[in-house]
Amino acid sequence: MSTVHFPFESHTLENGLRVILQPDRTTPVVAVHLMYHVGSKNERPGRTGFAHLFEHLLFQGSENVPREGHFKFIQNAGGTLNGTTWFDRTNYFETVPSNELDLALWLESDRMGFFAPSITQAKLDNQRDVVKNERRQSYENRPYGLAFETVIRNAYPEGHPYRHPTIGYMQDLDAATLEDVHDFFATYYIPNNAALVVSGDFDPSHALARIEHFFGDIPAGDDPPPVEVPIVKGGREKREEITDRVQVPRVYIMFHSPSFNDSEFEAADVLTSLLAEGKSSRMRRELVYERRIAGEVEAFTWPTESVGMLFAVATARPGVEASELEAAMLETIDGLRAQGAQEEELSGARNRVRRALIRRLQSVGNRADALAHAEVLRGDPTYVNQAFARYDAVTPDAVDAVAQTTLQPGERIVVSVLPAEDSNGGQDGAEAIG
Amino acid sequence: MSAILDRTRPPEPGTRPALRLPRSERYSLSNGLDVLVLARPGLPEVSLRLITEAGAALEPEDECGVSELTGRLLTEGAAGKDAMEMAEWLDQLGAAFTVSASYDVTMVSMHALSETLSGALDYLVATTREPSFAASETDRVRQERLDEIERDRDEPSIVATRRLVTAIYGNHPYGRPADGTYESVSAIDAESVRRFHHRRYTSDGAALIACGDVDAESLIAELEERFGDWAPGTGRIRLPDVPARPLRPGRPLIIDRPESAQSEIRIGTIGAPFHTEDLYAATVGNAILGGLFSSRINMNLREDKGWTYGARSAFHYRRGAGPFVAQTAVETPVTADAVSEMMAEIRGMVSDPPSEEEMSLAKNALTLSLPRQFETTSQVTGKLARQVIFGLPEDYWERYPERINAVTREQIVAAIERYLDEERLVFLVVGDASSIEPGLRALGPTEVVAG
Repeated sequence: MSTVHFPFESHTLENGLRVILQPDRTTPVVAVHLMYHVGSKNERPGRTGFAHLFEHLLFQGSENVPREGHFKFIQNAGGTLNGTTWFDRTNYFETVPSNELDLALWLESDRMGFFAPSITQAKLDNQRDVVKNERRQSYENRPYGLAFETVIRNAYPEGHPYRHPTIGYMQDLDAATLEDVHDFFATYYIPNNAALVVSGDFDPSHALARIEHFFGDIPAGDDPPPVEVPIVKGGREKREEITDRVQVPRVYIMFHSPSFNDSEFEAADVLTSLLAEGKSSRMRRELVYERRIAGEVEAFTWPTESVGMLFAVATARPGVEASELEAAMLETIDGLRAQGAQEEELSGARNRVRRALIRRLQSVGNRADALAHAEVLRGDPTYVNQAFARYDAVTPDAVDAVAQTTLQPGERIVVSVLPAEDSNGGQDGAEAIG
Repeated sequence: MSAILDRTRPPEPGTRPALRLPRSERYSLSNGLDVLVLARPGLPEVSLRLITEAGAALEPEDECGVSELTGRLLTEGAAGKDAMEMAEWLDQLGAAFTVSASYDVTMVSMHALSETLSGALDYLVATTREPSFAASETDRVRQERLDEIERDRDEPSIVATRRLVTAIYGNHPYGRPADGTYESVSAIDAESVRRFHHRRYTSDGAALIACGDVDAESLIAELEERFGDWAPGTGRIRLPDVPARPLRPGRPLIIDRPESAQSEIRIGTIGAPFHTEDLYAATVGNAILGGLFSSRINMNLREDKGWTYGARSAFHYRRGAGPFVAQTAVETPVTADAVSEMMAEIRGMVSDPPSEEEMSLAKNALTLSLPRQFETTSQVTGKLARQVIFGLPEDYWERYPERINAVTREQIVAAIERYLDEERLVFLVVGDASSIEPGLRALGPTEVVAG
């Protein structure tokens, strides 16, 4: 099998900013990706959703960049840009034509170094409204949209940093103040709490000089306070039922599992592939094809920093009760744990994982994201190249071992989303919409 | 070179790299089937696409959704293998296989490791040329489709778009969902699927596209073996004429969804077909109106008012005149105001025509982004597919910038007046009728229907 390897070099500026340079001359574009080691897990009580709200504010201009300037400059250069927030990290990224590297560096360095003087109450209030509408659109007004926050609220005890959703709760968004903004910026948005990845068509020594030019004079700050993320293990199964405006039930089963930093992470990931990736996978075969009780099934892990989550999710066919669906899901999961993984299903999974990795890492934007994620969460960007071999090396025994420790009743959280009583079931009106 | 850092202004860009877009090689198999290949060594992977003249707009009227159902059934038994054997085959290859039945064509897409390319081609030819369409599998997959259509009713954004196109196009195929209605899909059986496949999955107008770690010559030999004897069909079918005017403009249509957290708003009409002289003016105009983050609609509703997470608009280009759709989701109390603001922005494109700055931002965003639109192998085959579907010359994308850059303000205003005249606009909201209906009455007589 041909090897896949993305060469890169690593540097650290005097102010602590970690820099990863990954040249690739295939296409005349360059990705600039800045990842800060701060996410929703760093939020203090009563301020859920703040890390994400803050991410929105970083697009509202900085000392030398006007409001909405970031979008205008990048789009005018033919680039694309965005930012995302997660439990463990917040990232800001753009892909621009390779002659516009300086533009991206100027914009990112201005908001890292010179954001504070530009923020106003009006900008905060505006983006608070935008984020509340994001919550309405993507969670509250979307079928099954509140399921994940229900799962994690049950999975973690009061006060646990992973217990609340990144989007946050409405009353906490309302509570955010300008003072919170200034504190958060001063605490977390410092060069020594970030990694800058450049991937694409550039000369590394030139790029390093330009990075030094734009970021070198931004002072380091005190290392941010560490977050304690206790491992939640064992105990008893936790369950909750919620209702939603849906036609059919959906069951979410989460298991406490290896994190992105654990050596068993890849085996856990492969385990989810055996469960529900591909039509011959166990849950698809048994629930969708043979028993015909599920319309959709999926299983996946989240590559979190400190404690892991492994999900199996299935949507019922009309007329199937959540309890029946859940029992069938557990039968499949227990079956995998009891019988163990077969070499044949693993060989297909290896091909799938390898292909999907290659596909994802094709674009310089995704590659920069993967390098930043590995650097910030694992402290080791070489993971991106090692991943191929690590997944190839997953044996049936390794999958069985992770299945034994993870797929236990005591490690499990079950959330069922049930149709509300007044959900207009049946076929009336279907043809008018359909 | 380390000049003093002046942060107060954006840095000067370096020399712009010459636009060098990858060009494919064009081949013909012995039956005349077009093959477009772009060899891109590097990563050991390949993106494949097969395009057939099996678009939803060409379905018999009483079999709406047959193209989608046919596409779903390709994998459910073929070349003497049953559905589960097919699934095991694909899962062993580790390849991705997707079928999308759009209004214009059906496109089968595969992504595979290059070391599994031969196997992937075997799978591709089995599914597209030798599907079995067993009655039992057809019944199962049809039921899965019906379940999906039911679940789609839970998504206000899907409901809004589906209702909108019907209010625009009525009985024309563009007024029907490309994947069918509950009623039409219920009536499709294995015989209709087999008939549709027999007529539409032929070498007439079909094309194969490949990009990635391939050797063109040996790939062509492999394709010749598998597709070189693919027979032509009975010729192309003509798309029914698209109506000149939308069905029900002017009267706000409300799809009642009591206690909705938000209102899904759609303003739409019949837009421009792909092959039209003012395509480029419409494209630049839309970028300014609602195509970019920095567009007028988004700046107003999101960045000024904070009413929404986002608002946008697009001309959906097809062979016939596809729809123009402006859309957003807003908090319930501002629903009528949001519709009025969107209307005002559409009118404003004429009364307050685009500035030089807006035009240059839009043109730059559309043209300087071209290289990154050809970055991955899937992007490349997607662009080549567009070339096939619309019959574009090989230098289309290379000449695209000069065409976009030639667009004048007068042409933009003329295109907006032509397509987005207020008399032609259809309004629709999915939301809590009791809260939003009174405000929407100001825009015209409302009609409320159950969600």
